Amino acid sequence: MYNKLTPEIVEELIGIVGSNNVIYGNPDALEPYSHDEVAEKHYAHMPEAVVKPSSAEEIAQIMKLANKYKIPVTPRGAGSGLSGGAVPVYGGIVLSVEKMNKILEIDKENLVVVVEPGVVTNEINNAVKEYGLFYAGYPMSVETCYIGGNVSENAGGGRAVKYGVTGRYVIGLEVVTPTGDIVHLGGKVMKDVTGYDLIHLMVGSEGTLGIFTKIYLKLMPLPQAKVDLLVLFEDMDTAIKIVPKIMTFGRIIPTSIEFMDELSFKASCRYLNEKIPFEEAGAMLLIELDGNSKAELEEQYEVIGNLCMENGAIEVYVADNATTSERIWRIRRNIAEAWKQFSPHQSLEDVVVPISEIPTFIKRVREISEKYDIPIPCYGHAGDGNIHATPIKKPELSMEEWHKKLKTLLTELYMIVKELGGTISGEHGIGSKRKDYLPMVLEPQHIEMMRAIKKALDPNLILNPGKII
Amino acid sequence: MGEVWTLAEFRHGKLNPISFELLNRGKSLAQKLDTSLASIIIGYDIKKEDIDELIERGADKVYVVDDKRLENFIVETYAKVILKLLDEYNPDIFIAAATTTGRTLMPYIAVKKQTGLTADCTVLDIEEETGNLLQTRPAIGGNILATIKTLNTRPQMATVRPHSTKPALPDRNRVGEVIYKQFSDDVFSSKTKYIRFIKNESQQVNIQDAKIIVAGGRGLGKAENFKLIDELAELLGGAVGVSRDVVDRGWKTYPHQIGLSGKTVSPALYIAVGISGAIQHIAGMQTSENIIAINKDPDAQIFKIANLGIVGDLNEILPLLIERIKDYKKKEANLNV
Amino acid sequence: MKIIVPIKQVPETNNVKMDPVTGTMIREGIENIVNPLDLYAIETAIRLKEKYGGKIIVISMGPEKAIEAIKEAIAMGCDDGILLSDKKFAGSDTFATSYVVAKAIKELGDFDLVICGERATDGDTGQVGPGIASFLDLPLSTFTSEIVSIENGKIRVKRLVEEGYEEIEMTLPAVLTVVKEISDPRLPTLRGKLRAKKMGIPVWDTQKIGAEEQKIGLKGSPTRVVKIFTPKVTREGEKIIVKDEKTLYQAVDRIMDYLIKKELI
Repeated sequence: MYNKLTPEIVEELIGIVGSNNVIYGNPDALEPYSHDEVAEKHYAHMPEAVVKPSSAEEIAQIMKLANKYKIPVTPRGAGSGLSGGAVPVYGGIVLSVEKMNKILEIDKENLVVVVEPGVVTNEINNAVKEYGLFYAGYPMSVETCYIGGNVSENAGGGRAVKYGVTGRYVIGLEVVTPTGDIVHLGGKVMKDVTGYDLIHLMVGSEGTLGIFTKIYLKLMPLPQAKVDLLVLFEDMDTAIKIVPKIMTFGRIIPTSIEFMDELSFKASCRYLNEKIPFEEAGAMLLIELDGNSKAELEEQYEVIGNLCMENGAIEVYVADNATTSERIWRIRRNIAEAWKQFSPHQSLEDVVVPISEIPTFIKRVREISEKYDIPIPCYGHAGDGNIHATPIKKPELSMEEWHKKLKTLLTELYMIVKELGGTISGEHGIGSKRKDYLPMVLEPQHIEMMRAIKKALDPNLILNPGKII
Repeated sequence: MGEVWTLAEFRHGKLNPISFELLNRGKSLAQKLDTSLASIIIGYDIKKEDIDELIERGADKVYVVDDKRLENFIVETYAKVILKLLDEYNPDIFIAAATTTGRTLMPYIAVKKQTGLTADCTVLDIEEETGNLLQTRPAIGGNILATIKTLNTRPQMATVRPHSTKPALPDRNRVGEVIYKQFSDDVFSSKTKYIRFIKNESQQVNIQDAKIIVAGGRGLGKAENFKLIDELAELLGGAVGVSRDVVDRGWKTYPHQIGLSGKTVSPALYIAVGISGAIQHIAGMQTSENIIAINKDPDAQIFKIANLGIVGDLNEILPLLIERIKDYKKKEANLNV
Repeated sequence: MKIIVPIKQVPETNNVKMDPVTGTMIREGIENIVNPLDLYAIETAIRLKEKYGGKIIVISMGPEKAIEAIKEAIAMGCDDGILLSDKKFAGSDTFATSYVVAKAIKELGDFDLVICGERATDGDTGQVGPGIASFLDLPLSTFTSEIVSIENGKIRVKRLVEEGYEEIEMTLPAVLTVVKEISDPRLPTLRGKLRAKKMGIPVWDTQKIGAEEQKIGLKGSPTRVVKIFTPKVTREGEKIIVKDEKTLYQAVDRIMDYLIKKELI
């Protein structure tokens, strides 16, 4: 179906981006581009070449060339994805945007920042901070991931409850189409209903419909203060029931509401040698608030804290400074690390269910966990129902058994998700990892529509093949 | 001009070699001031050889207070004895090591003498014009160095970071004066009773006196992995240090902790393994003579202060290094036969 | 049992970044926290109170905003707080600070224990605890790692020293400085925060504590900082990146060379 790269084609690529920006014939140098952060090695695939263009024009030429010779092109950001989206499953060219890492404009009048796709997400905030502004996207990998990847995956993360996900902030895009044209969608306007909303077709398209070369992001005023609450509950039911209460009775939307089940926080607390009475708890919530002043937040956390206490919380801890905040967040952050000490092989899932179904979901996961004899700690974003249910390979299990078990386990897990009215990925995307499971949750017509769009934009199926559909 | 005094630490029947480092410091100060250098040594059953050694290593005079009631360190008693000596002889400068003893005794004395004291100095010098003692110490986690002077009060007092200088070498021909002092009973009274000393069973804990420290951080991953660090330390005849995280996680005990909330060390060699180099850790070890860092993160701060940095997986590097050191030692042993 | 816990508000320096050009600390956005080592003193006091009953008073010398630190301690479980604040205190070195705190403690009347953190993470001197004991003429245990017992007006403690631990017994009242090993600090709770919020923190000045003006502030400080400079940390030596087996062996060879050449082995 696809052709292999030849030295002659590579010469042409060099002609476009220069010899410094092409990796070819050097397995050591190509290897880092063969995988993302998905731990299982079998999802990796070696590219034949890596190109590092510096402009939309160069990318357009590369796409034209790829169409001419029928070579697949896989766009790549920082490679911090968790669904195999940047892995060249059919080989060919990996197109890395690492050289396109400039913040092009900070427009203070219009509260817009214009960036290239290879900018590290965290750097946007470092740059706009001095103007009292901030960009609200906050994936957990914020210190390494690129904004281009965030837009491609419509990344979520820790602040999504209050601020929503990446797509909410994308108001304009410059895109190189799969056939090598440069198209401009939206811009600095805040409202736009002129024609189909192609921006949000592009957002979350996982690099299959176009390559972003300029991204216009909406900015917000920078919150001046932050408070975290760590709330211990006896069980998950009581914990989750508090979430809608906070929003309705409290009339407060926290920045994040993270939950951790017993398996998660006990592993992490023991790993960290944390001495709060966590053994007495059956569930934990970590609630973060931000706002303009400590005084404003004080009122808010009191409301939330009291709600929790009145509704069966064992204890509410308040962290309003770096020392205590770090102590609270590291429990959440070290869950994966703590389990890694038990076994390095994990399948980090990011299913979504309606918030009220979280307790049921977790009960059902416990049943699967017992059935397969595989620990599945569950933690994640209670505020939006996004759950990192993480099957973990027991050390005594062989790799072969693990993969066999995992496949049926995941199928069963996704079935439960579907039954509860949820879906299989909330923030990591489908990529290659979850491609086979897509028909479980999407109607055939839905998949057909996606296929039709893909075909219309990419007739040769050159751009990031083997993903989603 | 008053004398320059150093405190010779004597405990459990032994003279602490740190006392010789102080003599090295004191010698250059006394020379610059053209005055004599004296050590004070207090305790019980102080041996003649120890007193002689202080002289051989640079003391012109040794003031000795030997009393059963000084057998163990009680800050009130020790302070009263030293205050008696200070009042009688009025030295110009009085320095002690920044050990647990020095850091307890010196501030207690400074307050009673109503004079200034600078903690944990790494450099001491004399200001030429005035003859004042210039005391330089790291502050704010070692991010800055501050030079401090004691204005008008005397003596000028400072504690000195252990191992921030070499011990003075002995000269067997040196002679000096030994002055034995005795005091009345009231000097020895205190509200504190010494009960007992509990020696730390682990030989690897006294990190402040170790010539070599192998330190592990969060990068080790778990407590069991510290056997690599323990083994390497033992092979090199060194002690085991750790970063704060490791103690917080209960992988090693607090006496091993190096950094702002732990101990400050200056060994000849510091091997930092899986330590990212947070400021609070670096503050406790940056004056080490040689630093080797092993970390998988190429951007780790620790590399900024390392003489030799290895970016890689400690689980691959350490076993190989341990093997190589064993081979080397075997070869050396064979050569010496 | 009445316990007094002197604490200090310090800049949060754990996550501090250094300016790569000037080599100085980037101070922007740095917040103030309770000196991390004081948290162990606070926790020790709270546990003693839980066991023996009584009252814990937190005192802190500093500007108005140090009230935040006092309130954090109250939110953890201390009972009362006093801020020692006066323009005349400005510039105090460890001598003058010990004097001011000791005077305030005297003003508080009878007490059983003063518990301090071993030192503050900014000044890093560890001199104020012993200084307070000296001004008050009280027995002192520094580097305290365990409270063994309190009975018949006597406290027995273990001190962490170089080669192990010393156990000593002191008559009360006494002064302790504590190390991290003594306890694990708790987190402030919502109930604690609410209590702290409602509480007024009295501010004591020179007159209130009856301090002599020539012993406080810059004027009362026997020491003076004459120069501040940035240490040169240009040690950054060679760096070897281990990518594969070959570079792994090269790296270990290099370590061996280094150890041998510097006679460290």
